[in-house]
Amino acid sequence: MHGPEVAWYLILASLLFVTGALGVFLRRNPLIILLSVEIMLNGANLALISFARRLGHEDGQVFAIAVMAVAASEVVVGLGLIVALGRRELELDVDKLRTLRG
Amino acid sequence: MMDAAAWVCLLLPLGSAVAITLAGTRISRRAAGYLSTLTTMGSFAAAAVAFFALLGDQPEERAHATTSWTWLSAGQFSTGVTLLTDPLSVMMMLIVAGVGSLIVAYSVGYMEGEDEERRFFAYMSLFVFSMLLLVQGGNLLLLLAGWGMVGLSSYLLIGYYQERASAIRAAKKAFVMNAFGDATMALALFLLIEHTGRLDYAGVFANAPTGTVATLVALGLLGGAVAKSAQIPLHTWLPDAMEGPTPVSALIHAATMVTAGVYLIVRTHPLFENADFVMDLAAGLGAATLLMAGLIALVQTDIKRVIAYSTMSQIGYMFVGAAIGAYANGMFHLLTHAFFKALLFMAAGLVIHALTGEQDIRRMGGIGRVMPWTRTAFLVGSLALVGIFPFAGFFSKDSILAATLDHGSYGMVLFVAGLAGTFLTGLYAFRLYFIVFTGEQSRFAREHHHSHHGREGPFSMMWTVLTLAVLSVVGGWIQFAPFWHPLTDWLEPVAEPLVEPTEAQEWLASGLALALGLAGIAVAWLAYSRRTVRVPHAPRALVKKLYWDELYNWIWYHPADTVARYLGRAFERPVIAGSLDVLTRGFGLGSRGLGLAQNGLVRSYALALGGGLAVLTVVFLSVR
Repeated sequence: MHGPEVAWYLILASLLFVTGALGVFLRRNPLIILLSVEIMLNGANLALISFARRLGHEDGQVFAIAVMAVAASEVVVGLGLIVALGRRELELDVDKLRTLRG
Repeated sequence: MMDAAAWVCLLLPLGSAVAITLAGTRISRRAAGYLSTLTTMGSFAAAAVAFFALLGDQPEERAHATTSWTWLSAGQFSTGVTLLTDPLSVMMMLIVAGVGSLIVAYSVGYMEGEDEERRFFAYMSLFVFSMLLLVQGGNLLLLLAGWGMVGLSSYLLIGYYQERASAIRAAKKAFVMNAFGDATMALALFLLIEHTGRLDYAGVFANAPTGTVATLVALGLLGGAVAKSAQIPLHTWLPDAMEGPTPVSALIHAATMVTAGVYLIVRTHPLFENADFVMDLAAGLGAATLLMAGLIALVQTDIKRVIAYSTMSQIGYMFVGAAIGAYANGMFHLLTHAFFKALLFMAAGLVIHALTGEQDIRRMGGIGRVMPWTRTAFLVGSLALVGIFPFAGFFSKDSILAATLDHGSYGMVLFVAGLAGTFLTGLYAFRLYFIVFTGEQSRFAREHHHSHHGREGPFSMMWTVLTLAVLSVVGGWIQFAPFWHPLTDWLEPVAEPLVEPTEAQEWLASGLALALGLAGIAVAWLAYSRRTVRVPHAPRALVKKLYWDELYNWIWYHPADTVARYLGRAFERPVIAGSLDVLTRGFGLGSRGLGLAQNGLVRSYALALGGGLAVLTVVFLSVR
């Protein structure tokens, strides 16, 4: 086993995750929110891969690749939505887009 | 051979009912009628084959049971789908399928132009099947199944004109009354299973219960018989059942249904013989019914209702006969009655048909001038009904009366009641005949008699009526009590008679009954044809049918209605409806509150998600 302890990787992963989460909670621009979601996913991926390495198991790596695929498709949908918003010349602010309130 | 014939006889009508139902509009209405007719005739042919096969056996070996599969099996108790072919069931098969096929053939003409002929013929076939199941079943459970199905088919047919509220009411009434009888019969069967452990006839009769159990069993069976055969006190459905089409009335009254009660008593006579009280009760009910129905028939104004009451009255005779142990005489009257009652109904149907559906005899009159054949047929039927020599009723009714003479002092009471009934029969039968067929043609008849088939009914209807007319003349000669009695001999292995009237008693009964019947006819002639006797005003009690309907309304309907109304006011509206109001209001408020949470702010949803996840995490970690 070479390199730093697994704990360091996990600390970095949680930092990434919290950064992303804060971005989702605090920012109002949907584009930024989408970015933040990607950062969260990457944090999670990092945790998966580090555990996989630590346990000598390939499952975590496989799972991380699956997450990447999902993330990529999610970005396609999300960006599509944002482009649609832009085409309709709506303001890019999630707090103003609340037609679905009960 | 015989077993096969029995199954064919039973299953042909069922096959016809199923085929007509499944074929739907793919076959024409007429084809449905012909299919139904032909299968019923096929049943009759099969019954005839079984009869002749049975004739070849020694008298004491004439009982063949055939089981197709075990139907029910629980512990020691098991019962199969068994058909029993013995003298009694073959006789019933011949009557049911024979008279039934004539009636179905007649309906092909009668129902022409109705909207739903296919449904009608499917029901008719089902009715014949149910009755055949009832008489052919080799154990009491199959008999009960047939019993219930007869009730169902009669319900369907009485309510055939489903757009008419009165028909639906009559159908429901018949069904409920019959269900009452079914229930008492089912109770009797439970008792029998408990005490004998079986339900097949031979097994039950071999260890027939005695004492109180026998009385209870016989009472239960009598309840079923009384309901199905429309005897006091469960008779009120029969006159209302006239709401069905006329061929249905003929089928119910002649071939199927009402005769089932008599069959039941004869079939299960070993159970009844252990309960003298119930035998006497059955005879008493029969005598009371025959008098009451005869009286009520005197004042009815609906042509079919008069005939319906005459059926009740004649079944009363059969009950008297079966209940005093003159089983063959009761069955003989059942046979001849099937002929002349089907004849009367079908002739009445011809009149109704010709008068565009009118049934009120006060608007009829002089019909005989335009419909001489129908008039003759009706006259033959009426003479047979009254029991005038040499028509069928003479032989059968008088032999029942003769049998009562051999039944001690109680028999004398029955004898007198029966004689009085004969007089009433002559009176009401010929009141009907004279009013409808003789005298001047009424204005209504002149205006409404339509003659697109010539003056009489169409051939398809006439030939069946005339066949029955011939049978009503010659049918009685099968048995002429003092001289020859093949029917009694035929039924002896199944039901040995308990009474044996002497020749003198036969002559006495025949003479008195004939005289009284003629007297009844004479009075009717004076009152309704010559009009030299003024007809007294009809007593209100008789017009109201002796208030039986009102009585039942007071005993059952009104209390139930009052209780229901009270509960509706005191319980349903405040408690049930009230609690529902509270529930709906609660849900309304709750959903409005939950709606507030859905504010449309994506970030608050995300926060709620994250917060929830955090809480769950903490919970899981701390619980572990």
